Amino acid sequence: MPQLNSELLKHPFYLILHPFNGYWDLKYDWNKKNNLIVSFSILFLLVVTNIMSSQYSGFLVNIYNPADMNSLMEVLYVLLPVLFWCVANWSLTTLMDGEGKFVEIFTSTCFAFIPMVIIPFPWIWLSNVISIQETSFYYFSHSVAVIWSLYLLFVGNMTVHQFTPSKTIGTLLLSVIAMGFLAFLCLLFFSLIQQILSFAITIYQEIDLRS
Amino acid sequence: MLSSIYKARTFVLTTLICLLSIGMGSAIVHAEETPKSYNYSYWGDAVASPLAYRATALLNGDSLGVGSFKEPNDIHVTADNQIYVLDSGNNRIVVMDASFKLVRIIDSFEVNGKPDKFMSPQGLFVTEDKHIYVADTGNNRIVHLDSNSKLVKVIENPQSELFQEKFQFQPARVVVDKAKRIYVMAVGVFDGFMEFNANGEFSTFIGANRVRVDPAELLWKRLSTRAQRSQMAQFTPTEFTNLDINDEGFIYATNGDRFGDTIKKLNAQGNDILRRTGYFSPRGDIAATSQMDASRLIDIDVADSEIYSVLDSRHGRIFTYNGDGYLMYVFGGLGNRLGEFKTPSAIERVGDQFLVLDKGLGEITLFETTEYGRTLNEAVRSYYRGDEEAAFALFQKSINMNANLEFAYAGIGKALLRQGKYAEAMKYFKESKDQLGYSKAFLLHRKEVLRGYFPSIMTGIVLIALGTIAFRKLRHWKGGRKHAAIEQ
Repeated sequence: MPQLNSELLKHPFYLILHPFNGYWDLKYDWNKKNNLIVSFSILFLLVVTNIMSSQYSGFLVNIYNPADMNSLMEVLYVLLPVLFWCVANWSLTTLMDGEGKFVEIFTSTCFAFIPMVIIPFPWIWLSNVISIQETSFYYFSHSVAVIWSLYLLFVGNMTVHQFTPSKTIGTLLLSVIAMGFLAFLCLLFFSLIQQILSFAITIYQEIDLRS
Repeated sequence: MLSSIYKARTFVLTTLICLLSIGMGSAIVHAEETPKSYNYSYWGDAVASPLAYRATALLNGDSLGVGSFKEPNDIHVTADNQIYVLDSGNNRIVVMDASFKLVRIIDSFEVNGKPDKFMSPQGLFVTEDKHIYVADTGNNRIVHLDSNSKLVKVIENPQSELFQEKFQFQPARVVVDKAKRIYVMAVGVFDGFMEFNANGEFSTFIGANRVRVDPAELLWKRLSTRAQRSQMAQFTPTEFTNLDINDEGFIYATNGDRFGDTIKKLNAQGNDILRRTGYFSPRGDIAATSQMDASRLIDIDVADSEIYSVLDSRHGRIFTYNGDGYLMYVFGGLGNRLGEFKTPSAIERVGDQFLVLDKGLGEITLFETTEYGRTLNEAVRSYYRGDEEAAFALFQKSINMNANLEFAYAGIGKALLRQGKYAEAMKYFKESKDQLGYSKAFLLHRKEVLRGYFPSIMTGIVLIALGTIAFRKLRHWKGGRKHAAIEQ
C-alpha cells in the first residue's frame, strides 16, 4: 500500500515535468485504476482551488460578490467543460483514426490540469499579502499555469491518439467547435423537453377543468 | 452487457442533472423595482437610499403675476441668486430674486433705434456682471444685452470657410466664459461648439463628438452598392444636447450619444477631461436594458467643488455626481405629484437648492435638501477642499444615514490613512471597493507589521542557520567517529 501511495503522488509530478515520457507511461505502463483515482482527485482539487480562490483570494485581485457566489455552480463550471471536452474529443478522434479510448482521453485531460492546481493554490494566500504593484506576479503565474496546462493537453492528446503535432492542433481546435455544437444540442434538447412538458401540463389542466 | 447499459444510464443521468441545474441557476429572477430614491452599488444594483432632495414649492407665471409661462426653455441663476427664466413661447425673459419675487421682465430691446423682439429663443446665459446672452433661435442670431437690457451687440451670420454653403446659423444654447468668449451650441452643427471671440467673430469649433459606428450598420454599408449607400443615412457625430460652464472655464456638455460618454468636460482645446473613476462612468441610469429605456440627458448644471448634475428627460430624474464621477444622489421622476415632471427641460442650482423647469406645464419645481442631502453635499465639499477632518466626520454621518453609500467609505479610509490607522483604513477601502487606496494602506500596514516583528524574525533566521550548522557539524563528527570505528 505505501508503494501505491507514493506512485499516486509521484506519477502526476513526473508527468507534468516530462510530458512525453509521462503520457507514454500513462497510456501503456501505469495502472488504469490508479490513473482514474488520480484524475478524479485532480478534478476535485481543481474544484476546491476554484471555490477557494473565488472566496479567499486577496481583495486586490478578486472582488467577489457574495450574492453571486454559488459553490455548486463552481463545481459545474469545472466538471461540465471537462465532460464536454472529453466527449467532443472522443467523438472526433474516433472518426479521425485516433487510438485513444475514452478513459485515456479523460485521464490525459485531467492530468493536464495539475499546473492549474499547484500554481494558483498557494496564490490564494499569497494574494492576501501583496500590493497592487505586485499583482502582476499573480497574473503572470496564472498565465504560466494556463499555458503549461494547454501544453500538457496538447502533448497528452498527441500521445494518446498517436497523432502528428499538426493533426493534434487541428483536432484540438475542432474539439472546441464540437463542444459548442454539443452545448447547442443539449440546450435545444432541454428546451424541447420543457416545451413538451409544458404542453402536457396544459393539456392536463384543460381536461381537469372541463371534467 | 447489462452493466454497460447501467453505466451508460448513470452517465446520461448525471449529465442531465448537471445541465438541468444550470438552467435552474439562471432562472433566478431578480425583482426589478427601482425604489424612489436610489444609488448604484458597486455591482450595478439600484439600492434604496434616503431622499437627498425634497420638492417644496411650485412656481409658475401666474403665481409671479406675469401670466403663465409658455414653453419655457432655459433657466439661469447668477451668483447672487437672481433667477432668469427664458419664457420662449412668450418671447420674454422673466427675472426673479432669490425669494422668487418678480424683479423685471425683458421682452424687447432697441436695435439701431428700432424696437426689436425675440423669436422663440432657446438658450440664455447671464454673466457675472449681469450681461445677458440670448440664443435667439427664431431670428438666427445671438443677442447680447447689458445689465440694463440695452443692446450691446448682435451676432448674426458668422463667416468662415469652415461652414458649408447652405449653412444657417441657428443657435440653441449659449455660454460665456470669464474672457467673454462665447460658446454656442447650434442646431445641425456636428463639429462641436462654435466659439466666438469677445467681439462676436467666429473663431473655431471645439469639442466635436467622435463618430461612433454600429458594427451591424457598418456591415450593411460595406455590403451595399454605391447607389444604395447614397440613400442611407451618413455616419455623423452626435450633436450636443446642452452645455454649462464652471468657474474655471471648463465646459460641461451632454450629448445624445447611443454608446460612449454622454457627459463631457471640455478644456480649452476641446479635449474631454471628465474624471470617470467612479464605479460606473457617469451617464444617468446604468441599468437600462434597452435603447428606449436609456437615459437621455438634456441639461447639465455645474456647481462648486466639481459637483455636477444632469437631467434625464426620459425618466425625469436628476443625477448628481462628484468630481471623481461617483453618483451622489438621484431624485425626481415623471408623474403628477409634487416633485415629478411632465417634460423637464432645464435644471439650475440656487445655492444648494435645485430648480427644475418643466416645459410642458410651464412650471418650476423647487427642491430643497434634506438632512441627508446637506450632509453629503458638505462632505463632498470638504473632501474636495482637502479638509479631511471635516470630511471624515461628515462622511461618517452620511454613512450612519445610508450604510449603502459605498464611495463614502473611501473618504473615511483616506482620513484614517492620514491618521496612520492603516489596518482600519484597509477595512474602509475594502468596503468601498477602492483597490488603489487599499493597496496604499496595505503597503504601510505591511511595513509596520514587518518592522514590528523584525527582531523576532531575524532572531529566528539566525537561530535556524546556527542550528543547521551545529547539526551538520554534529553529524559529521558522529559520522567521522563511525567511519573511524569501521576503519579500526
